Amino acid sequence: MRIPRRLILSCGLAAILGAAASAPRADETCNSPYMTGLIKGQEDFVHVWTLGVPGMGDGSDKLVTVDANPASKTYGKVIDKISVGGRGEAHHMGFTDDRRYLWAGGLDDSKIYVFDVGTNPSHPKLVKTIDNLPAKSGYAGPHTFYALPGRMLIGNLSNTADKGGVTGMTVYNNKGDFVAKYDMPASTLKQVKGDGYGYDIAVNPAKNALLTSSFTGWNNYMRDLGEVVKDPEAMKHFGNTMVMWNLKTMTPEQIFAVPGAPLEIRWALPEGRNWAITATALTSQLWLIKRDAAGKWQAKDVGAIGDPSKIPLPVDISITADAKGLWVNTFMDGTTHYFDLSDPEHPRQTYSKHTGSQVNMVSQSWDGRRIYVTSSLLSKWDKAGKDNEQFLRAFHWDGHELTPAFEIDFAKEQLGRPHHMKFTANPPQMASLLQASAP
Amino acid sequence: MRRGGQPGARAPGRVRLSAGAMGIAPAAAVAIAGLVGTAGAAVDPGKAAAPRMEFVAPAPGSYRLQKIQRVHEAVLLDTDGRTVKLSALTRGKITLLTFFYTYCVDPLGCPFAHTTLAELRDQVRGDPALSGRVRFVSVSLDPTHDTPAAITAYAAEFAVIPAFDWRFVTARRVPELLPVLDDFGQDVSVDVDESGRATRTLHHMLKMFLIDAHGEVREIYTLAFLQPPVMFNDIKTLALEAG
Repeated sequence: MRIPRRLILSCGLAAILGAAASAPRADETCNSPYMTGLIKGQEDFVHVWTLGVPGMGDGSDKLVTVDANPASKTYGKVIDKISVGGRGEAHHMGFTDDRRYLWAGGLDDSKIYVFDVGTNPSHPKLVKTIDNLPAKSGYAGPHTFYALPGRMLIGNLSNTADKGGVTGMTVYNNKGDFVAKYDMPASTLKQVKGDGYGYDIAVNPAKNALLTSSFTGWNNYMRDLGEVVKDPEAMKHFGNTMVMWNLKTMTPEQIFAVPGAPLEIRWALPEGRNWAITATALTSQLWLIKRDAAGKWQAKDVGAIGDPSKIPLPVDISITADAKGLWVNTFMDGTTHYFDLSDPEHPRQTYSKHTGSQVNMVSQSWDGRRIYVTSSLLSKWDKAGKDNEQFLRAFHWDGHELTPAFEIDFAKEQLGRPHHMKFTANPPQMASLLQASAP
Repeated sequence: MRRGGQPGARAPGRVRLSAGAMGIAPAAAVAIAGLVGTAGAAVDPGKAAAPRMEFVAPAPGSYRLQKIQRVHEAVLLDTDGRTVKLSALTRGKITLLTFFYTYCVDPLGCPFAHTTLAELRDQVRGDPALSGRVRFVSVSLDPTHDTPAAITAYAAEFAVIPAFDWRFVTARRVPELLPVLDDFGQDVSVDVDESGRATRTLHHMLKMFLIDAHGEVREIYTLAFLQPPVMFNDIKTLALEAG
């Protein structure tokens, strides 16, 4: 049958966004619910935001792209790297709402690099560098990049005045223009004192709920970890709170006392769930933020990760698509843990594996079958000597065992310290509106 | 009767391309779009779902909307076929602007957007403080098909209340529309067939833009944010701000 010449249009991506907003997420997962184009099958590429190391290659921070599709001839290989021309403590990344651009931040120099990953994800392009965050906001250390419609919400770690942990969130539009800033609460709200610290951001749009966590400032995260832990004064300067914000008004509504630096936050978004989970780095606990019967949010310690007395330092978590499981990486003992979250009030560790001498980020595919682990925490906090392994390791997960899939030695390949990961997939062939309108 | 599209036309697993907001010229995006190959992309949007709202909308005036970006000038075409400056449609009143095409039938696409707008229109009309201060603008994404006559017929389904300022506009041709899409960050892409030719099945992310009387975008609503009580209070907030 002949295809009609007139345009046949569909609002497909509206549907995509709707799904993203209401469906469960996985790491394809820690992405903003406003982001389009979730990769539910095989990811093609893993982009790794990598800290430069003096004397290693060009020494620059770089975006490293790894082929992650087993059907590809270059599977498990580095296929692209883009140096940004300096070392600014590369750390985290986040997609814009249209998933075309990847924003990546430096915790030391506070620069933000915008990479085009939509045009050709196998070879991202650096299209913009934003360097006015300190001047515009007084904040420093852009950490979490969280897509809002047409904007990027950024959770920062520090400030320019004393380089401590008092900070806030900034908003830029997708063109890279500064829009607004919001201080983390440092005053008392409903009998709980805020500490003004920041770290991660997670939104539940149906509840108009924005949840933030807290870590520490430049003075600590850019200082040798061994020195920090031996300095009682420095150890006082870690975040001990989480904050529930009204997303619409961008005002804090409730502060939770969550001692020990609560880090990554993951909402359980399947319909009917009303909780989020986090892990505290210093106290090694899982905390649940959940609405009680009266409709009030409560934060609750729901269990230990490893042996807290040994300070295993949980540094990243990854929730499964159905919110029934949680991966946790503990840096110090190099262990990847799996918790059964079927009852989020009582998480149960059902599996663990030593995945490296030091492990940091853990990301899983939407289907939960592939797990990726990187090694670096911070340039000044990584281990030394033979324990300073620097790698990306990919595993298959069959529900019972992590089986190695591939591994890239970032030191041997002169790349640097691998930290945050994001997935992309090759886009299907498409035409532009202009091409489609041509006679 | 409105002509129908193909509700099932959207193939699962699509990633759209667009003239980017980061300085990628539309023309460049056009060229790029034709070059990107297929490699079994595994993007799956999953089942669409209407936005959920499990909270009470904050009271008007209790918050300040961000100044996100200014609307740049462009020339469009009204239902009578006359040219009209975009600034004439985005300044002087609080404006809610969205993009559409006349035969979109996705239940959670353009029809959903316009149903939401119609509901909002009725709320706005019921509020004397907003009388004459609000307009809606619907811009066609398909100048090739959506002629002034076509959008006139479409508009009749939604804008049958003469007392309310709801404009439907199109463009003279696609090249004149592309800078508008680029400015708003409104992505559009078109499927191709097995031989690489455009099939003319088009994808876009549903977005609405709330613009103040000075031509500044103050809120952007994607599907998850299409919550009429919140949108109405946002309009009221801008009205209170203007005094």
